[in-house]
Amino acid sequence: MRTDRIFGLAVVLGALAYIASAFQLQTSFLSDPVGSRTFPIIVGSVAAVCGLVMVVSPDPEPDWPHGRTWARLGIAVLVLVGYAYALRPWGFVLPTALAAGIISYQINPRPMAAALTGIGLSVGLYLLFKYALGLGLMALPRDFPG
Amino acid sequence: MKARLFKALATGVVLGLATASGASAATECIAPANPGGGWDFTCRQIGKILFEIGQVDEPVQVTNMAGGGGGLAFSYVVNERNDDENLIVAASQATATRLAQNAYGGMTSDQVRFVGAIGADPGVLVVAADSPLKSLKDMVEAVKADPGSITFAGGSAAGGFDHLKVLQVLKAGGFDDIRSVKYIGLDGGADAITQTIGGFTQVMTGDMSEIVGFLKSGDVRALAVLTEERVPGFEQIPTAREQGYDVVAVNWRGLYVPKGISDEAFQKWADRLANVAASEQWKEAMAANGLAPFTKVGGDFQEWVDGVIAATEELSREIGVIQ
Amino acid sequence: MEIFANLALGFSVALTPFTLFLAVVGCFLGTIIGAMPGLGPSNGVAILIPLAFTLGLDATAALVLMTSVYYGAMYGGRISSILLNIPGDEPALMTTLDGYPMARQGRAGDALVISGVASFFGAFMATIGLMLLAPMLARVAYLFGPAEYFALYLLAFCTLGGIASNNQAKAALAAAIGLGISMIGLDNTTGMPRFTGGNLHLMDGVDFLVAIVGLFAVSEVFFFIESHGRGSAIGVKLARITIPVKDIVNSGWTMVRATLIGFFAGVLPGAGASLGSFLAYTGEKAVAKDRDSFGKGNPRGVAAPEAGNNAAAGGALVPMLTLGVPGSGTTAVLLALLMTLNITPGPTLFADRPEVVWGLIASLLIANIVLLVMNVPLVKLFVRILTVPGWVLLPMVTMISFVGIYSLSGSYFDLLLMVAFGVMGYFFRKMDIPTVPIILGILLGNNMEDSLRRAMVISGGDWTFLFSSGIAIGLWVAAIAGFVAPMFLRGLLRKPQAITD
Repeated sequence: MRTDRIFGLAVVLGALAYIASAFQLQTSFLSDPVGSRTFPIIVGSVAAVCGLVMVVSPDPEPDWPHGRTWARLGIAVLVLVGYAYALRPWGFVLPTALAAGIISYQINPRPMAAALTGIGLSVGLYLLFKYALGLGLMALPRDFPG
Repeated sequence: MKARLFKALATGVVLGLATASGASAATECIAPANPGGGWDFTCRQIGKILFEIGQVDEPVQVTNMAGGGGGLAFSYVVNERNDDENLIVAASQATATRLAQNAYGGMTSDQVRFVGAIGADPGVLVVAADSPLKSLKDMVEAVKADPGSITFAGGSAAGGFDHLKVLQVLKAGGFDDIRSVKYIGLDGGADAITQTIGGFTQVMTGDMSEIVGFLKSGDVRALAVLTEERVPGFEQIPTAREQGYDVVAVNWRGLYVPKGISDEAFQKWADRLANVAASEQWKEAMAANGLAPFTKVGGDFQEWVDGVIAATEELSREIGVIQ
Repeated sequence: MEIFANLALGFSVALTPFTLFLAVVGCFLGTIIGAMPGLGPSNGVAILIPLAFTLGLDATAALVLMTSVYYGAMYGGRISSILLNIPGDEPALMTTLDGYPMARQGRAGDALVISGVASFFGAFMATIGLMLLAPMLARVAYLFGPAEYFALYLLAFCTLGGIASNNQAKAALAAAIGLGISMIGLDNTTGMPRFTGGNLHLMDGVDFLVAIVGLFAVSEVFFFIESHGRGSAIGVKLARITIPVKDIVNSGWTMVRATLIGFFAGVLPGAGASLGSFLAYTGEKAVAKDRDSFGKGNPRGVAAPEAGNNAAAGGALVPMLTLGVPGSGTTAVLLALLMTLNITPGPTLFADRPEVVWGLIASLLIANIVLLVMNVPLVKLFVRILTVPGWVLLPMVTMISFVGIYSLSGSYFDLLLMVAFGVMGYFFRKMDIPTVPIILGILLGNNMEDSLRRAMVISGGDWTFLFSSGIAIGLWVAAIAGFVAPMFLRGLLRKPQAITD
């Protein structure tokens, strides 16, 4: 109940912001009867109506996880974001081993298995991508010693 | 089961080893667009020939980096690969047009080094075979009489190169009310020609390479080609200039390299590119794809590009594409 | 018969021990690439083009290899859809709807065999269609202008109600979100950026692959962390793998209908494989008597989209070869390959280079047969994936997704966006907001807006232009019927359902 209400409200606000920024769009200097704004405004209006419907008639409350699980999900998101940033500067092998290991640990908290998963996946996938598929991946940082 | 998977993977590894061995020194060619377009063609074709004629030891690796109409690749090269001597990037008139219209977020042509162009795609204006428009004059007069009666279709967005061609011709014909000209930009020249043959639009504006097959099959008729002389192999198509509209617009295809590389490295790329231009393979590729010979390689190419950019900027401003 | 002579010519160039070997390798690599989230047919083919040149392959051999990879990836996309609820690429999206429920019921093997046969049927019939009708069908593209395309996209959105969701407002919201996201980037008509916040990475818009991989693959990881894999298909006791003859026979007409819809969608340059599989699925659901079992593991819900998307892949070759118009990302890559080989597709290709066209058709037929022969026995291997523990499999899926998306543009930005979509997917799936309409919106939003705007430019703002041809009117009628029908049918169906439940 509450989730749908809050989310519906967020959708309405988001849709209004979207419509507002659609009005800021520069119009074309050429013959273009529909223009850049019309379609986004229609889409925003539909979303706003749907959001209102969710506020008025919400579905039953979904089954949300509890405290510790939220923390583990949060860590997973942070790890993935970090991985996204690390992939280019640090090369493939190191960040992949770390990220895969941590994700594995989050799913099944056994440190040894997770560490092995991380290392195995990072080396295995590197070989697969580099040699079987010929993707241009870097194993290690560009200026890695040696 | 596992053994079979392993065997198959091993086959893949063996096949792949050839591509990837010693990849550190391999040349990379960035096509600043998705596979299938003109820049992708440039990278793949030049990359293939470079390897075939022994100019590089490793096959050229093509990277597609679509974004911002080439702007993403441009800023990536400027900011992150500025001294990479093994990097080439596909460029064309579209690169120059976007630089001229300041579509790369304030970046300018002197932040990279343009190596050269080794072919050009002449601009053309075509109509469906059964169109009442018989000449460029018919077209210009029809627009003058009622701008709403003719819709132009091209492969670039409004204000892009294909659109500019039309506006230039109309301007040369004394029509100034640019805003009333109806133009729709489609996802490529082939789409534009399909819509024109289908009768949804009246005139297609594009490059020669895009219409070759349709000319041969007799589905379309070219009103004019936008070159100084008639194009070899297509002598039946009159130029705009001889019909009294002094407009020349060719879409050159070439390369740029990072700004920070040494002069020797730059010269090496210029030589390699010149060798590609002189090769039989490139001549074949040009003939097969409707490109006209157009070789400008080396030191003065940068100046030429700057000239093109300045001219395009002036034109865009005059027409009102940019303020 | 001229066709047979042509076909003989095709096979004479395309069928040698070496090309057959290439076909097997290509099909295998393609299947693997297709099954990996983020790596689909188009980047699969693009990645392997250099390989073709390195090996010094001639034009025919290169074509055989690439078409095998192309079709292999089309086949492969279904594997991760069915086993993990993660579509390997966008045409396999619809296969998740019934394929994954089947896997959860322990029928993963059945679903893979049925979808394999349906893929074969769709692809094979489409190749025959390409062979017999291509020059004629090329004309169809001339009949579709902006107004007709707009009506076609509208039809797709109007049949959204047919997709599994209990709450119409949430389905509509999801579609609106997808459409809203698709507006991000350069406005095709004016060339001006919209909703990018000045970010260069957003200039070309949000790639639908980023959204698919985020919404399905990354969010799946979050679900696993929450539940430790309970309720997924992993570790479900598998039924013995047999060929589900009864289901295949039952889906016979489904495959025929889906193939027709898919092939036609493929032939239209603006539609493509995803629309083909989408319309094949919703169409099948609309005519099925057991409509309610769709989305709950109905074998026909697996057969329809797979026959549809593979038929569309074949159909998409029609405009690519005869007009040089690539109807999808993959055909764009194949077009690039042809042009690199100095073959320019166009209306005269069939007459000018018969050995290329018929060699290509022959290699398509070869690839299909190889895939069928390879896929059915391999099902036993594929379902083994489900015996891999989740704490290995999910990190692996994540890492493959990252590399797949990274290979698209080489930027961390797409990766961040993918993680954001993953978070969004987690919340939306919790809240029972369907994610398929989001993808559909991102895929079709730009095309839909562009067609509307082009139509209005052509007509000078006259709205009646949208109904100016028979085709357009027919599509509008179908769209309205598709939108209204579920509302009435639902009312009619509710009551008996309440009793049988």
